[in-house]
Amino acid sequence: MNAPSQVAVRQLSYAEAIREAMDLALASDPRVVLMGEDIGVYGGAFQVTGDLVHKYGEDRVMDTPISELGGAGVAVGAALTGLRPIFEFQFSDFATLAMEQIVNQAAKLRYMLGGSVSVPLVMRFPAGSGTGAAAQHSQSLDAWLGHVPGLKVVQPTTPEDAKGLLLAAIDDPDPVMIFEHKLLYKMKGPVPEGHYTTPIGAAALRRKGSDLSIVATSIMVHKALSAAEQLSAEGIEADIIDLRSIRPIDRETVLASVRKTGRLLCVYEGVKTLGIGAEVSAMVAESDAFDYLDAPIIRLGGAECPIPYNPELEKAAVPQVPDILRAARDLVGVRV
Amino acid sequence: MPTEVIMPKVDMDMATGKITVWHAREGADVVKSAPLFDIETDKAAMEVESPATGTLRHLAPIGTEIAIGAPVAWIYTQGEVVSDIPATPDVAAPRPTVPASEAAVVETPDTARAGTGPRMTPAARRLAREGGLDPQTLKGTGPRERIQAADVAAVLAPRTPRPPGTGIPLVMIHGFAGDAQTWAAVEAHLPAGQTVITLELPGHGSAPRQPVQDFAQLAALMRREFDALDIGSAHLVGHSLGGAIALALADTRPRRVASVTLLCPAGLGPDLNGPAVRGIAGASKPESLGPWLKTLVADPDVITPNFVQVAAAQRRDPQMRAGQIELVDVLFPDDTQSFDLVAALHRLSCPVRLIWGKRDQIIPWRHALRAPGRAALHLFDNAGHLPQFEVAEEIAGLLQDLR
Repeated sequence: MNAPSQVAVRQLSYAEAIREAMDLALASDPRVVLMGEDIGVYGGAFQVTGDLVHKYGEDRVMDTPISELGGAGVAVGAALTGLRPIFEFQFSDFATLAMEQIVNQAAKLRYMLGGSVSVPLVMRFPAGSGTGAAAQHSQSLDAWLGHVPGLKVVQPTTPEDAKGLLLAAIDDPDPVMIFEHKLLYKMKGPVPEGHYTTPIGAAALRRKGSDLSIVATSIMVHKALSAAEQLSAEGIEADIIDLRSIRPIDRETVLASVRKTGRLLCVYEGVKTLGIGAEVSAMVAESDAFDYLDAPIIRLGGAECPIPYNPELEKAAVPQVPDILRAARDLVGVRV
Repeated sequence: MPTEVIMPKVDMDMATGKITVWHAREGADVVKSAPLFDIETDKAAMEVESPATGTLRHLAPIGTEIAIGAPVAWIYTQGEVVSDIPATPDVAAPRPTVPASEAAVVETPDTARAGTGPRMTPAARRLAREGGLDPQTLKGTGPRERIQAADVAAVLAPRTPRPPGTGIPLVMIHGFAGDAQTWAAVEAHLPAGQTVITLELPGHGSAPRQPVQDFAQLAALMRREFDALDIGSAHLVGHSLGGAIALALADTRPRRVASVTLLCPAGLGPDLNGPAVRGIAGASKPESLGPWLKTLVADPDVITPNFVQVAAAQRRDPQMRAGQIELVDVLFPDDTQSFDLVAALHRLSCPVRLIWGKRDQIIPWRHALRAPGRAALHLFDNAGHLPQFEVAEEIAGLLQDLR
């Protein structure tokens, strides 16, 4: 096929795309404020906020003390009283420290106060393994928060979606949790100029194929895509669904794909047991798509252990491309 | 116990069906798999085969709407007592009363119900249910003999109308700068009942003029064509570049390929008569095409002026020529075969044979020596790069040996 003659779209990194979204929001809406540990002059643990403090000042780009619970409490209060805070965690692992504010306050206040208030709060969580940051700084806890009604939970996989989902989260009247994979921050991709939003709750079909459906989240979407290239050379064509949002979840896109292919592989970095793959599998098993399954469902998730510090073990603890290749061949019934 | 014959579900939104013809009379002896009756829905008409051998009893009347899954007849084995099952099954009641004398022992086969019977996937179960198949009669080829959708489809497939022909079809793929016509001489020598399906490479014959980036993409496009064919398995026959495609197909669709026959195939070595290939691709008139055509055959006299005129006329489309010139650059850069299928050839587990003209001036026949020992090799002294044209009858004879 010919390379389509396309208008040059500018390339930004995932981190730059997030920064641009925050910059746009800060510039256009005086209610938007950033909060988090070391997001001011230091520029954030992963340099995502960068120099925004110099542009908007310390009243709008606020360094918070080293207390996630305290910071999150201030953010929830600010959201309740009219601001639109974007709260950054240094590592998503520290969400555990702020669970009271996230789960018991942010997620429930609109319900408990009869809809008289809402909590338009955005929280950003650098997540995932692969940086050698070991057990307390490498987890994928998205499914924890995905379990809480009242929250929305998204996981952008491209720079374009990182910007679009963040802008959609800022517009949303309810708390939106954004899990950003640390290894994606440097990934470059085309990012449209100006304000646009990526709908929360809509999955993206990243690749079309008829032999199996791979439903993936976060960085696993990219691993699935590179596995799919190799599978295609072997004659196996995979549908690849990037869930993008795990609460709400795009049920119909998943079911339609499974009805087409009859085979489902779920790939996610969080611990396999009780993870997003369990939810997707059950969703299929409970639906009419069950009648189209032509092989048992396979889940590839994180190992049942803390993320190890040793780089080889760290790699082995989460699904990699060869694991996806093996599972896909098993599903399709091809011996290699 | 008698075998129940039910109204099958032949399309998704069918609730009832109507019998238009019974192929056997009440009391007649029927044989399993023989046509039993025809049904008609608002979308289709089809023939239903007998699920068992025996005596046909209690036929449902012609022209009445009958619910899916409701019995339309019973087949009794020899010596079985014919009991008084209602001769006209009630449309509303899906199942007749089991004969009292047999009630204790009879187990009416409950078509494709989960939790009973053999291990089968949900998809296979659904297809069996829709096709009115008894899972007990199916054989599974999946892991631990699990019955999968393909197993049910294989049983259902012979019931769907098919172009006339017998046995496993031959799927033939022509070479570079050729088209489906290349097989005409061989086809003329094949028995009338043999199904032949010819595939055309993109940018050749009447196939879409689609640019191709590399061999892998070309193979993927052809795989899509092959997948779309309404056939179970096939004997693949490929000439030259089409041989390389046949190898790639057999490598990726091993379950659908019964055998592979390669005529002077590409992909088994780097050597290639580049000037001839480029000459043919670019030739716009008989004067430039003729000399190159003569390099294709052992005896240049078979390339008559008339033959050249016809060949040149078929290559009149400048868009086709331009596309083929581009394809040469992509597949055969610097007069080299850029793709290597020797490993794929060694991986094949189906019967493989290579046919080559010893006087092939386009691809040296010695590339055939890279085939594994299991592969058969047929060398023709009096042929060049077009054995399907030069020794058509012999090739047709070899193809008839395929089972």
